[in-house]
Amino acid sequence: MYDIRTELTASVWKILVPAGTAVTVGDEIMILESMKMEIPVEAPISGTLAEFTVGEGAPVQEGDLLARILPDHSATS
Amino acid sequence: MTFTWDTALTELHARRETARKLGGPERVARQHEQGRLTVRERIERITTDFVEVGEFARFPNRDAAGNDLGSLSSSYVCGLGTVDGRQVAIGGEDFTVRAGAPQSYLDRWKGGMGGFVEDLAHQYRIPLVLFMEGIGGDVAAQDEKGHSYLVSSMSWKRSFELMSEVPVLVAVLGSAAGGTAGRAVISHFSVISAGSVLFAGGPPVVRRALGRDVDKHELGGAEMHTRVSGAIDNLAGDETDALTQIRRVLSYLPQNVWELPPRGDRTDPVDRPCDELLRIVPENRRRPYKMREVLTTIADRDSYFEMGPDWGKAVITAFARVDGIPVGVIASNPMHLAGALDGAAAEKQIRFVDLCSTFHLPIVYFVDVPGFMVGPDAERAGVVRMGMRAIQSIVEAEVPVVTVHVRKAYGMAVSATSNPDALGLRIAWPSGEWGDMPIEGGVEAGFRREIEQADDPDEFRRRVEQRLLDAADPWKTVEAFGMEMMIDPRHTRRIVAQFLDASLHAMKTKLGPPQRRWTMRP
Repeated sequence: MYDIRTELTASVWKILVPAGTAVTVGDEIMILESMKMEIPVEAPISGTLAEFTVGEGAPVQEGDLLARILPDHSATS
Repeated sequence: MTFTWDTALTELHARRETARKLGGPERVARQHEQGRLTVRERIERITTDFVEVGEFARFPNRDAAGNDLGSLSSSYVCGLGTVDGRQVAIGGEDFTVRAGAPQSYLDRWKGGMGGFVEDLAHQYRIPLVLFMEGIGGDVAAQDEKGHSYLVSSMSWKRSFELMSEVPVLVAVLGSAAGGTAGRAVISHFSVISAGSVLFAGGPPVVRRALGRDVDKHELGGAEMHTRVSGAIDNLAGDETDALTQIRRVLSYLPQNVWELPPRGDRTDPVDRPCDELLRIVPENRRRPYKMREVLTTIADRDSYFEMGPDWGKAVITAFARVDGIPVGVIASNPMHLAGALDGAAAEKQIRFVDLCSTFHLPIVYFVDVPGFMVGPDAERAGVVRMGMRAIQSIVEAEVPVVTVHVRKAYGMAVSATSNPDALGLRIAWPSGEWGDMPIEGGVEAGFRREIEQADDPDEFRRRVEQRLLDAADPWKTVEAFGMEMMIDPRHTRRIVAQFLDASLHAMKTKLGPPQRRWTMRP
């Protein structure tokens, strides 16, 4: 299971895909909001988005866990 | 014994062999086991034509009881070397000789804190490259003297005056404590290899002073200093990377302040199309983007090198070339605090502007700043004071500053991006927006009572915002010549290159040390 952590302190503005969605590396899965900016969070690897560990509106600190991806073992790279 | 050339040269050769042994094979092996090179290896890797000075100086080795254990080669290696065709004064502690013991046992220091190598840089006006690995003064050194030493008897003058004469480039490779740590930061650029540590006092000293046990990496590790304290500018993956970074920074700088920085090859056409800029900066103004992609697109290919990338992240400071001209690039980072200028970013900018001013690198400033950072953390870190110092650094900069307005430019922080008492050349992109405050926050604050008293506050506020947004059309400022230029972003490279090239005429006439009278920083 691959942990996706936030690189900045912000709040969770929008969750873009439901848990269980198959994602490809680079897909936007969530948007954080900080200082009036909408900061997209992209899937760092391909796989299935297993779960979000935060909900919309939640404040997050740098390093907090946002979501987990089950890596796609058939992916090349 | 009568002098013969044969015996004399045999002795010289034998002494040379001994000197090469440093602190002996065991200690050299330990250095290697811990992933570190010896000082001789570092110097040999970065230079060609190394001529050593003080090769045969010896360190009298004694135990704790004062018994003579013979002698080792002295604890510092230095001389004159050539780095990428550039002659430099170069030196470093020999950690295998009592952890780079301070050279109070010699008639003259070779280096480390002042010393021959710094005198060489000063007298010949050539860059100084130092490899720092040592623990500074210690009680054993005091033992040698036979009396206690008042540290204020030691002169730092040479080290400080070099800062306005020649590039001083430092790599911390291993442990640097006390005086060695202090010397390391008196530099224009510093790099620390992963696993190295730097501190005023190490864990044993901390334990005695504060009764606390700390891990040495937590206390003064390479990551901590490059991410949190900013005491060291850059992190290197290993020693080889550290040497590469030193060479890289040297390539942008002149031999001394009496020369212009060396112009690089002009092989990247200035009118190369930069269409990707329109894809990098989003049309949605609430979306951040990677400013670094903007910068590397506009600069000459492969010419971009960041200083301090891991701290003060709201601002990016980087060396680059434009049409071969070495420049200092400063840019807001919209990914970090939306580019708001906080204390650390202000400090990073001040250091970089001072460096550019010293070595005659024109500054190109890419602006996307919503203002000084706000909030309790920022205020407690003194954002107002640090922000004003950042403004002072631009106002007192002795190099041309070309400002490119990429997007937001609100509030006091904008004063840190251009100097109206110099040329004040500001070049806007159509994506630029500016004012005292962003409209949204400004309307809320400026018309609060009227909004509250309106029949439909939300609707009222929206109408006021729209009216002000229409008036905030950047073209209106351009029509009033309140912004010097508005351009197609794809022409930025060509236009900036042309202005920089023209500015060289003035730069050539303003060489030498900084001209400004020393002004107290607020």
